[in-house]
Amino acid sequence: MIKPEEIKMSTDESGKWGMVIDQDICTGCQACVAACAMENNISFVGEADSGYGRSMHWIRIERFWEGEYPEVKMTPNQPMMCQQCGSATCEPVCPAFATIHSQAEQLNLQVYNRCIGTRYCANNCPYQVRSFNWRDYERPEPLPNQFNPDVTVRRRGVMEKCTFCIQRIHKAQDKAKSEGREVLDGEFTTACAQACPASAITFGRVDDPESLVSQLAHRGHGVKHLEELGTLPNVTYFKGG
Amino acid sequence: MSDKLSRRDFLKLAGVGAASTAVLTGCGPASRSVKREPYMQMPEYTYNGLSTYYATTCRECAAGCGLVVRTSQGRAIKTEGNANNPLNLGKTCARGQATLHGLYNPDRVTDPIKRTRGNASGDIVTWENATQIVADALKNNKPEEIAFLMGMAPDHLFDLVADLANSTGINAPVRFGALNMFESRATLSKAAENLFGEAGLPFFDVGGAQVVFSFGANFLETWLSPVSYTRGFAGLREGQTKKRGTFVQFESRMSSTAGKADEWMPLRPGTEALVALAIGRLASELRGGSMPRAFADVDPLEAASKSGIKLETLEHLAEMFANSTGALAIPGGTALGQSNGLAVAEAVLALNAIADNFGKPGGVFFSALAPNQTEYQRSASVKEMQEFVQQMADGKFKVLFVHGLNPIFELPASLDFKNALKNVEQVISFATFPDETALESDYVFPDHHGLESWGYQRVATGSAQPVLSGAQPVVSPFYNTRATADVLIAAAQLASGKFAEALPFQDEVEFLQSKISPLMSEADGFFSAADIDTFAAYFQQYGGWWKLSDGRAVPNSADVLNRSLSSAEAEFAGEGEFFFVPFVSPTLAEAGANKPWLQELPDPTTTVMWNTWVEINPVTAEELGLKDDDVVTITSEAGVLEVPVYRYPAIRPDTIAIPFGQGHTAYGRYATALDENGKIIKRGVNPTDLLGQHFNEAGDLAFAGMKVNIKKTGKKQLLSRLESIMGVYGVGLGEEK
Amino acid sequence: MIKRLFDWLKQPLGLIAVGIAFLALFSLAAYGIFQSQQSPAQPIQFPHATHAARGLQCLYCHPGAARGPSAGIPAQAKCWACHQQIQKTLDSQLADTQFPLLKPLVAAVTSNTPLEWVPVAMVPDFVQFNHRAHVAAGQNCENCHGDMTKVTVAENPQVFNMGFCLNCHKKVAGENHELLVKLTDCGTCHY
Repeated sequence: MIKPEEIKMSTDESGKWGMVIDQDICTGCQACVAACAMENNISFVGEADSGYGRSMHWIRIERFWEGEYPEVKMTPNQPMMCQQCGSATCEPVCPAFATIHSQAEQLNLQVYNRCIGTRYCANNCPYQVRSFNWRDYERPEPLPNQFNPDVTVRRRGVMEKCTFCIQRIHKAQDKAKSEGREVLDGEFTTACAQACPASAITFGRVDDPESLVSQLAHRGHGVKHLEELGTLPNVTYFKGG
Repeated sequence: MSDKLSRRDFLKLAGVGAASTAVLTGCGPASRSVKREPYMQMPEYTYNGLSTYYATTCRECAAGCGLVVRTSQGRAIKTEGNANNPLNLGKTCARGQATLHGLYNPDRVTDPIKRTRGNASGDIVTWENATQIVADALKNNKPEEIAFLMGMAPDHLFDLVADLANSTGINAPVRFGALNMFESRATLSKAAENLFGEAGLPFFDVGGAQVVFSFGANFLETWLSPVSYTRGFAGLREGQTKKRGTFVQFESRMSSTAGKADEWMPLRPGTEALVALAIGRLASELRGGSMPRAFADVDPLEAASKSGIKLETLEHLAEMFANSTGALAIPGGTALGQSNGLAVAEAVLALNAIADNFGKPGGVFFSALAPNQTEYQRSASVKEMQEFVQQMADGKFKVLFVHGLNPIFELPASLDFKNALKNVEQVISFATFPDETALESDYVFPDHHGLESWGYQRVATGSAQPVLSGAQPVVSPFYNTRATADVLIAAAQLASGKFAEALPFQDEVEFLQSKISPLMSEADGFFSAADIDTFAAYFQQYGGWWKLSDGRAVPNSADVLNRSLSSAEAEFAGEGEFFFVPFVSPTLAEAGANKPWLQELPDPTTTVMWNTWVEINPVTAEELGLKDDDVVTITSEAGVLEVPVYRYPAIRPDTIAIPFGQGHTAYGRYATALDENGKIIKRGVNPTDLLGQHFNEAGDLAFAGMKVNIKKTGKKQLLSRLESIMGVYGVGLGEEK
Repeated sequence: MIKRLFDWLKQPLGLIAVGIAFLALFSLAAYGIFQSQQSPAQPIQFPHATHAARGLQCLYCHPGAARGPSAGIPAQAKCWACHQQIQKTLDSQLADTQFPLLKPLVAAVTSNTPLEWVPVAMVPDFVQFNHRAHVAAGQNCENCHGDMTKVTVAENPQVFNMGFCLNCHKKVAGENHELLVKLTDCGTCHY
């Protein structure tokens, strides 16, 4: 049996799954946002609630303005989702252990059935990428026919966030195992990366130096957001330009 | 104290209350009252719990991107791009993703209905009756009294109606779509005809270029084939194998395309031709040799003063263009939707002659014609639609069939399609959704949703190879709908005589096979087969048929620079103070408003969701005393709109802009809103209500050629937006301007 | 006003009234929960024992278990493939008198309507269970579902709660640290 002290705390710098996002070619078209919503059964909340900032985007595209007219510029579009931190600030604050680190996949998990809705994790997330189910949002029949059976439909009072499409990770692992091999690089990808018309998002194993995502991440000019907080994020951004 | 509850008592009371609420409102486990129905006959290749994937074609716009749809237990779960299809190579846009919210939309037309026009409820008729009604309409009217108005997709149905019209003498079907209006397709093909001697849709190889100058073309949003052009843009920026390309956008409002540009040139609306020719002249000077006739008459200094772009900037741009090994200039969008749109298109296309990029990588081509196409077929311009509506109003048509578009919403209100409908005796709509036009029809005989349909779509542009994207049903029809092609074929058989001879088919599938069978004998295909059944099976499996070779044609550029080109400025209609730029919402486009997740996608530039806004420069707003969410009245010569303000930092102070996509009065619960009394009201506004009937020389609407006035109403309407407004313009910091 | 009501509630009679009201509400809720946990009746009292006794493998009718997440209920065509060759199914008189269990099947097949089965072994929505992985790992069906040669309508020999899953996962992993991490990771089943 494993002893508690043998369990590694999440300080492993290498991570397992990671992403590289090229902001220079992201056009802000929202295809990733729509793809994410369709894959992960995310509720839409309607005009009023989205006005209160309750919309449930697991991935959002940020843009900022620089300068004043006519020298105004839009900063490169910045897709922002859970950075799957190696040392996540959301994890230690959860009183219900619903926000915990997956030792197997090195991801930040959100266990819906444990979540009691304190929203401490969202409060402590420096990336502001967690969204909360303020209501049981109505999805009238026959819209639920579209639900992805591989992803839990969340109820009111539960926190949720990007999972790096863990259902796709499991599916690929399951398939590889049934064929007696390892998961290949590029064999599957997340919903956002698969949809992106500009191929601005690359997903894969960052602990495998041969994978495309590792090769890209080590190209030199990538940055990780708020790295100075010691969160060890697993998403690398190219600002471009 | 005696008359008040003590804190202790209150807590006791609250405790009892909380406990009973918790028990009563379901802390309990989920219900176990579940039933499962097995298949009667398990479809081949299907296993419980495992997904089946089908290749088909996206019908959210007419571009024709291939899809692969994941289905599970007969339900469509997720759309992905078809990686085989050369047009989109496995990618989709947001609308392609949300097409499932159309398929499972709670507001679809579920049955064939007969209704009193304008009345939302109707009586259900049987499909036998419906077919008889269509047959009678065909048989009992003179051929010239029958008109078909069709959308840009699907192409197979258009071909079927065109064949029917050809052999029976009824009016040839007219095609239109609001996207085409905002793309100014007629102008592009007319300019190509004038310059190259051949009408066609130009293809711009953005991916292979080094410097791209785009005049109003919003090719990263909705223009022509956004998924393919976005891939091209990624190629332009790709710094791995070549130098990172530069992109300059010329337009008065920074669209989300312009937001990706290295330099944004906010020129004065109407001066695009002048600026393009001035750059042409300066670039020709830098290149040396004799000055081409095309640029000889333009004065760069005049261009600088009229457009508001400094002469040094023009010189710097000309240098950039002249010194690049792969320069490309693209005309499109708002630049062409002005009274001088054709001149703009010609001037910008002529710039490419300096770069001499015709038919070269990174240059201008004619788009590859689809495999079963012999010449470029253009959709109707608004000018042609105006004539069509006039014929309707004059009572020339006794029966009108509408499929695939919503003219009451998509045509400018000043054309008054709705009123003209009154002079058509019988209006039969094949709408899948209860849109405004279906509401004003006598009959709605709903077609299947695109994911339940057979068909094909010709790829008009965006792929180097000639592509015919194929569609097949990925799920069985969810409602009592019927394929319009099947209805027409059955009705033609009932009408007998020349109608039955025109469509001698069992059903839609037999018709499709007759259309794709000639491809079997064509060389160089992605696949081939000796018999039609095998060929049709591959056609479904791969999601269409395409050639492996490049089908793009090289424009004849011999005469481009030897023509005199007009540098005249655009004329603007109306007495207003502000230039008015309507633009297509990149996420909603013309038919996305009824899909809830498209509504909840933030606009890429303003991040507004679920509504319409007017973009006003903050300086102008301050002069007018306007803040965010202040409702203003916008008046043009054609109409009036009330819309809340969004202070947009990247728009000229003399220009305002409104997105197109909202403003539905019907079209389902997500496209409309409810007032306090539960009555259906408009969600947002439709900017085409402000457009008068002014055209450019090619017959496209001068939609960006209006001037409007703004008046403050004093009302407020809060816009839902994703961005935080904290700190923007001092909001929340106690220093708001 | 509230104060007076509260004072009345605090005297013995009031306390009894509160107690009765609370008990009534509580038993109503308990009854409601109990009701929601009752499965509807099966359309056929399906004799698993009879089928298993004839040597039919579980995977013959539930092949999904070896291939993917769900074992599945066989399509009616599969039932009929065998039963249409069985005399007592076809002979309506025999079925009427001696084998009434077969009548719903015949009716369903002839009227082309699906039987509505009631699932017996269920996990909550927030659990992502995959049969294939368990079968591949050498688990037999009866380890979780019990011995089908002994029951008619399938019934759960144990409650499928997390303790049941984890006990087995821990036992299987044993001293294999990597496997234990994988098999006890929340993200293995909950996402």
